[in-house]
Amino acid sequence: MSEENAVGWFCAYTPLEILDAAGLTPLRRFGDPARLEAADALLHQAICPYVRACLASVTDGEGAGDAVVSRHAVFVNSCDGMRRLHDAWRARFPEHFVHLLDLPRNQDRAGERLLAREFLRLLATLEDFTGRTIDARSLREAALRREERRLAYLERARGSSGAARLRLAMGFQSTPADEIPGTEAGGTRGGGVPVLLTGNLLNPEGLVSVLDAAGAEVVCLDLCNGDRAFSSSTLPAGDDLEGLCASLARGYLERRPCARMADARRRADDLVKEVRGTGARGVIYAGLKFCDPYLYDFPRVQKRLREEGIPLLRLESDYADGHVGQLLTRVEAFLEML
Amino acid sequence: MGLVEDIRDRYLDRLSPATFRSRLFWRTVDTLARSPLNRPQWKADRVSLSYFIRATRDAYLRRAPVVWSNLLFPSEIIIGSGCIPFYPEMAAAVVASAGLAPRFIDRAGEEGFSSDACSYHRCVLGCALEGFLPEPDLLLAVNYPCDSAPLSFSFAADLYGVPHRVLDVPLSGEEEDLEILAEQMEECAAAMLSLAGMDAGEGRKKMAEAVSFSNLALRAMRRVEEMRKRDDCTLDGKDAMGGVSVLAGSMGSREGTEYYRLLAEELEERGCAGGGTIRLMWMHLKPWYAQGIFDALERHGARLVCEEYTHATWEELDPERPFLSLAAKVAGHFLVGPAERRARHLARLARDYRVHGAIHYNHWGCRQSCGGAMLVKAALQEIGVPVLTIDGDCVDEREYQEGQLSTRLEAFLESLR
Ligand code: SF4
Ligand code: SF4
Repeated sequence: MSEENAVGWFCAYTPLEILDAAGLTPLRRFGDPARLEAADALLHQAICPYVRACLASVTDGEGAGDAVVSRHAVFVNSCDGMRRLHDAWRARFPEHFVHLLDLPRNQDRAGERLLAREFLRLLATLEDFTGRTIDARSLREAALRREERRLAYLERARGSSGAARLRLAMGFQSTPADEIPGTEAGGTRGGGVPVLLTGNLLNPEGLVSVLDAAGAEVVCLDLCNGDRAFSSSTLPAGDDLEGLCASLARGYLERRPCARMADARRRADDLVKEVRGTGARGVIYAGLKFCDPYLYDFPRVQKRLREEGIPLLRLESDYADGHVGQLLTRVEAFLEML
Repeated sequence: MGLVEDIRDRYLDRLSPATFRSRLFWRTVDTLARSPLNRPQWKADRVSLSYFIRATRDAYLRRAPVVWSNLLFPSEIIIGSGCIPFYPEMAAAVVASAGLAPRFIDRAGEEGFSSDACSYHRCVLGCALEGFLPEPDLLLAVNYPCDSAPLSFSFAADLYGVPHRVLDVPLSGEEEDLEILAEQMEECAAAMLSLAGMDAGEGRKKMAEAVSFSNLALRAMRRVEEMRKRDDCTLDGKDAMGGVSVLAGSMGSREGTEYYRLLAEELEERGCAGGGTIRLMWMHLKPWYAQGIFDALERHGARLVCEEYTHATWEELDPERPFLSLAAKVAGHFLVGPAERRARHLARLARDYRVHGAIHYNHWGCRQSCGGAMLVKAALQEIGVPVLTIDGDCVDEREYQEGQLSTRLEAFLESLR
């Protein structure tokens, strides 16, 4: 993989098969949570720390962060935070391929039509950028490989939980499509108190490892850097690019929704179903600070889980999770109660 | 004393959800508003005041279906469909200016709403939870300027057990995408007509009327803008900022048109104050509960000559294709999409109004404005306009530190001399 081919992505709604079909290597960036303050010069502090970590990792004096150095990036217009990350990125790297893909909130026909048109526009922009034509065959093949990779993740992740499972999911997102990440599955199931973890995006070295340490067994990792991106197939059907993009749009919109989608009720329903299906005894709602979709989602989920008699613990993360050890007793007390 | 404070003081000890649903209360409000003691600075303000009092009263008394909307949702569609538009974000500003926001913000906190979210919406949700807002029949939001409205409306819709809809404004601005938005707007209009018990024919007539009022308002608004560009125009930005509610909530009504027509006329009549002030631009909104910051500006001979949200940003609507042109109106707004658009709008204002400096008020929890502040600042500095960013909260007065703020403000104004 050459640096020219690598393109960073950030949101679980990024259509990776389209980037693959263009001959690019999409790699998810997770930023540098240890250097959040490096983003201060570019973004206000009350913005999603994931967004700030991503920006911090490309400021001068780069720290650990992401291994890839490419500045090409595809953003999804999913939330204010992502929009602002796109803005700052574009201002900083005007010479690079920086694309903002629109994402409707509605999962209805209008949403599908808008998203399909966005996918076609992305295809055209990528053709311009790479100088290479993308046809229906290459898109279909790329989609098939993505589906195989999704199934490969589910296979590898079976029986694995907590931080190890999250590391594995992140590995699958931040390595090239033809590479199976080296991270070992682990955190073997059984023994812990089964819980469901839901939220936006978490650092496996921080809050999630505290859950492990406290004796939780995270049977479902409903996070955008966890299982959510692998939750259902987006394999499209269709004879031409238009048909494929329409089908792909449907696939993405039908996926288990993130809290920014319009149908918030469905998210709460899905959660309850998942708790019942996995035998989780409680829900841990953990989110990054300053993420509006999840800040507004919480009260509804709380109300719903209360009605269903499902115990709930809310935790907050600043992504760096420096003082997260202090949460241990709270988590232990919660697990004990279960 | 302002009208809002007057009403608050009279009703404070018996403020209950029922108060707002009593005819007597609204008669009192009406009398106070008409009283010679309540003399708004501008004739136009009397028109907007009576419009909002009437619309809010009708919403509480349920004289027509009530539709909640966010700031960028075109009121023309709601008014043109026989419903009453209610803009909760503006209601939060009124609650804040009455000094009553903290109680409601705390109520939202009890429900689980984090203090990291925008206090406009926390205030609104607190009021809703306490039963203080007019019950909506429908909630409509566009997905801009921020994530807050679609998300908080979704909660409110559940609370009231009524439908809510978020319209996706396409980023591309291409006509085919705008048509998809226009179709959705038309569906919303059809739903509102049926709530209002009007048929399609009546609806067309009403919508045509709303479009023509909106176009007249736009023309008058452009006149106002020309007047305001003059040296030391008598309309100060801190007062003009209240016009954001007129711009959002009354386009498509007769009164919206009247407001701008009267304002243009009065500006022409009054002329200018005459010479030598520091010309400033205000970005985002102001703290609605505090006057101190503006007094400080005045003391230092500074004046707000323009503000981010109160200017015309669209072209006249096409009466033949009302929904498509309303779709274009929203999609063309500078708050839709990348912050570059916002920066361009502000740079244009700064140039047109020949400002010496600009103030960005970082409302806590507003990811759209705070998030873009650095970029906006850089764009303005590039054209030689110094920017002061101040952290604060438009609605929650407990987050307001006047002392600290004045020191920074004074240093900034000093540097502009
Ligand atoms: S965590 Fe929230 S704010 Fe951050 S990118 Fe995801 S949805 Fe946006
Ligand atoms: S202040 Fe910002 S976050 Fe709050 S409603 Fe206005 S635009 Fe949205």
